[in-house]
Amino acid sequence: MLQAKHLKILLLAWTRLGLPSPLRPICDPRVLDRFIKEARDTEFAMRSCSEGCSLAEPLSVPLTSVDFAIWEKGDVSEPQKQAQEVQSGLWLLAQAISAVRVSITSTALHSLLDNSHSNIHSIGQVIRSLNFPEYTPPADGTVHEDTWRVSSTLELFRVHTNFLRGKVRLLLSHAPACRRDST
Amino acid sequence: MIRLRQLAPWALLLVFTCCQNASPGLWDAGLEKKADLLMRVEHEEPRCFAEGMRDLTCFWDEADGGTPHLYRFTYTYENEESNECVVESQQREGSETRYFCKLLKVQLFGLLDIRVYRGETLLYNRNLLINLVFLLDPPANLTVTRTGKPGQLKLSWLPPPLKYMENSMMYEVSCTTAGSRMEKVVQGNTEFTLRSLRPGTEYAIQVRVKPDGLTYDGYWSDWTLPISMRTLPDDADPLILSFSVIISFILVLLSLTIFLSYRRFLIKKMWPLIPSPENKFPGLFTVYGGNFQEWLGHSSGGLWQRPGFFYLEELPVMLEVLSEATMSPPVQIQPGDSRAPGLLKETTQENEDEMLPKADSGMEKKWDPDLQENWLMDQFQVLQQSSTPPSQSSLLESKDAYVTLSQNFDQHPGEGKLEDISEESLPLHVLFGTTETSTSHPDLGSLPQSSGSSQLSSQSSFEYPHNTWPSKSLTYACLTMADSGISTDYSSISSSRTGMECIYTNDYKNQMPKERQPLATPPTHTGCWVQEQHNSSPT
Repeated sequence: MLQAKHLKILLLAWTRLGLPSPLRPICDPRVLDRFIKEARDTEFAMRSCSEGCSLAEPLSVPLTSVDFAIWEKGDVSEPQKQAQEVQSGLWLLAQAISAVRVSITSTALHSLLDNSHSNIHSIGQVIRSLNFPEYTPPADGTVHEDTWRVSSTLELFRVHTNFLRGKVRLLLSHAPACRRDST
Repeated sequence: MIRLRQLAPWALLLVFTCCQNASPGLWDAGLEKKADLLMRVEHEEPRCFAEGMRDLTCFWDEADGGTPHLYRFTYTYENEESNECVVESQQREGSETRYFCKLLKVQLFGLLDIRVYRGETLLYNRNLLINLVFLLDPPANLTVTRTGKPGQLKLSWLPPPLKYMENSMMYEVSCTTAGSRMEKVVQGNTEFTLRSLRPGTEYAIQVRVKPDGLTYDGYWSDWTLPISMRTLPDDADPLILSFSVIISFILVLLSLTIFLSYRRFLIKKMWPLIPSPENKFPGLFTVYGGNFQEWLGHSSGGLWQRPGFFYLEELPVMLEVLSEATMSPPVQIQPGDSRAPGLLKETTQENEDEMLPKADSGMEKKWDPDLQENWLMDQFQVLQQSSTPPSQSSLLESKDAYVTLSQNFDQHPGEGKLEDISEESLPLHVLFGTTETSTSHPDLGSLPQSSGSSQLSSQSSFEYPHNTWPSKSLTYACLTMADSGISTDYSSISSSRTGMECIYTNDYKNQMPKERQPLATPPTHTGCWVQEQHNSSPT
């Protein structure tokens, strides 16, 4: 009996170890384009937000600005760093959206917020599919570099949209996994 | 000297730092074109546009004589320190001055805060995202080729050479021909096939580009230089040929259908039906070959019910059919129509009604020669009152023959025997005889008679007191029998039967029975009391 249990455990361990990453690289730019479009729509909807749209406390959001010269340099020398930067930024945005979801009362905006939240998780899946190293959120829940604080939902969703347009898109469109397939 | 050498690198450094953030200062024709284009579509000042991934040009126009040192251009990225750009100026026509500032290190996807100061006052303040203000150069290498099909042109061009924007472009194609312009938006592709163009016409093609608006956005670029191309001429279009064949086929079918539906009408018009009394004389032509006498003897009883036919049998003597006699249209005689049987029946009735209104009373009675004589006299009077005999070429020429014995027929509705014919023929002779003796009938004198008719003269055997009758080959006929066109020879019938007259329906012109015996009851063809003139050629 003991031997059977051991065998089972061993079998499970082998299967888990043996299983490769099941995700195929998602290289279609239209996937992210759809997310960007929905983020833009949410940003436009936030312009008409009247109740509960001012945040109680500022929220940390990533930096969105991209200098192409610097980015290209970083793409060559430190591609992992860029991936980490993108993933931490996505994590921050997810946190901020969850916080906003609580304070906003409008149900129509709730659906948009939920959609944005799920989109961020989907982008994380896409990044994982491209064989980027997994991101582990900081234990203390705060990110110290490349962040700043927003004080309104409009700002937050503008940051959200442009983060997807810029850094996330650049990372995905020039991912080595996709480049290998195309060439 | 030593001081200068020491100072030189510092001076150079100074120069460099000064110019570090300054725009290159070149306002070339390309920039001028773009600026003019932007003036039309963007109204927020200062107007800014990005030509590529690494620059931003902003400009504004003032009419103050060109003092760039008065202006200060500051820009601040999100969460960063503000920077300043050196303002440059470009003199334009009139007193307008264009001030511009060009940034060479830019950051996209982040909000940019731009401020323009004139002196200490804030002139303009604008927030923008540089990735949303692209104004690109027109696409290069536009080529237009013919595809080999008429009305089609194939276009291709190069996309803007921007590294991260390959899949984010939107193009617009414009094709211009004489008087009309067509524009079409093409997403993503750098080649396009124009369809449904007019064959054999010249088109001018142009293309322009703009970011698609999702990640990157901006303004429509300028149009490329137009490229002219003539489409292939329309070769014998098989479609048109097939259509014309189908239409002609349909027309042929239609005409056939119309022709078939109106076939009877058309045939009637082209081959008119010659009426024939054959249906009224069943078996006359088919069985007896036109032998009326035989047919009468063997005909069905249905015919006998017709008074016309009945009376034919009854009183043949009284009937004479005018063959060629010309006659005035009898006063009360109605010309018969071409249908002989009907005519026989109808005309007899009509003539009866018309001719002998007075004799009606007499008709009901039995045949009485005296009455007959009186009646005949009356008829002569009527005739006398009528117009002069017509010329020779008259009704009879038209082959109308009037039945004259209708009156007599009516008198004996019940009799239909041939035996009575001879008896009934007698009254004629009697009549004539009396008239012969009594020559004092002035009425009779009006009756024209051909004196030269030897046959009839003997036949008639009555002399008219008046000899002023015009010698015409005319004979009056009370009734003229219509000629139905039957070409059967009835003359033999009359000749074979002595004293018996039948009603003829055909033309007697050529069939005057010459062998007619000058009997007391001569077979006459013409009207009952009218003699037939034979001076003319026998008809």
